[in-house]
Amino acid sequence: MSADASDLSLVHRVQRGDKGAFDALVLKYQHKLVKLVMRYVRNPAEAEDIAQEAFIKAYRALPQFRGDSAFYTWLYRIAINTAKNAVVSRDRSPIEYELDRSNEESYDMQSRMKDAETPEGLVLTDEIRSTVNAAIDALPEDLRTAIVLRELEGLSYEEIAAAMACPVGTVRSRIFRAREAIDRRLRQVFEGGLGRAEEIG
Amino acid sequence: MNEELDSQLSAMFDDELAPEQCELLARRLSRDEQLKSRWGRYAVIGAAIRSERGVSLNPPLAGRVSAVILTEPALSGSAAAQGVRRAALRWWQPIAGAAMAAGVAAVSVLWLRAQGPLPGATLSAQRTAHTDAIAPGQGLSYVVPRAPAARAVLVPSTTLANYVVAHSMVSSPVARRNLLSAFMTSESANAASESITAAEEPHDVQANIP
Repeated sequence: MSADASDLSLVHRVQRGDKGAFDALVLKYQHKLVKLVMRYVRNPAEAEDIAQEAFIKAYRALPQFRGDSAFYTWLYRIAINTAKNAVVSRDRSPIEYELDRSNEESYDMQSRMKDAETPEGLVLTDEIRSTVNAAIDALPEDLRTAIVLRELEGLSYEEIAAAMACPVGTVRSRIFRAREAIDRRLRQVFEGGLGRAEEIG
Repeated sequence: MNEELDSQLSAMFDDELAPEQCELLARRLSRDEQLKSRWGRYAVIGAAIRSERGVSLNPPLAGRVSAVILTEPALSGSAAAQGVRRAALRWWQPIAGAAMAAGVAAVSVLWLRAQGPLPGATLSAQRTAHTDAIAPGQGLSYVVPRAPAARAVLVPSTTLANYVVAHSMVSSPVARRNLLSAFMTSESANAASESITAAEEPHDVQANIP
């Protein structure tokens, strides 16, 4: 296997004019990018705006991407620069400065007010999280260990195979089955709307 | 949906699929909305397991980015290739710049050489002209001409000029030129005082020319 082959195959498609391939890259990295940007801005809504801007900048700059580094590393740098610029321009605004820096309490209130604008989004996030956790708890031990080592510890299939004393093919199969089991429950939440987690849990 | 295909999708998500299989699956992923949704949910599962605090697990981000990208012009193959070509050219740009600078310098040197003789040669030519203008009866005397005030910086002091004239017949052309060059360099520092001296009345120097 070659590291980043998956991203590179999508990147090459985007470079050849396939916009749909860029959707896949956004879907894969949107959570990581928002989390990264939240090191610079505390407001989740603002972090999402910055992440959106970073993705669009990345799309426009993709013709210059040569694959010297991993796609995510390249995207990471764009996001960091976009976040830094956003913080600088926000600090130049005196009103925002008052809210953000001078009064921590007013900043928190502002943040809560922005979050409160999308209560359904917050509830859905909580519901997704609890659904995934419940699904993981229900997994057989070998599947749970494999998916947790992969997603939480970031181990490669080879490292997981060594840790679990099994072939790499078995690891691949276990991770896939774990995802499928979790996805079955998750799909019901996405398709059925709020409250489905309690019904299917 | 095909289980093998889903299994490959899971492996591709983890960067654990062979590159050639990635190419095939990437093509399908970019067009198949169902497959794309599954891919997106795999990302949600990972984010939920990592308990990324404050990160919405159902952000409208992907839809917003996709909407903006739809309004953008597609990156054509030629645009991408142009980008790669531009990047490939970048490494030898400094070399090309240096070569161009060297070329300009060489042309400048050739042009300067073609423009006229060296300062020593000019002085030699002036001396010859003045020697020719001497009357027959004054063949052994040499008059250092009055230097025009505007060109004072370029006129050597009379003493050394006379020295050069007196020895011009016995010294080699190279030695004469070297002497004049050294003299011109040293003279530029004393240009102001020399200009005053040069502006004075001309004086006769008896030069014993063999």
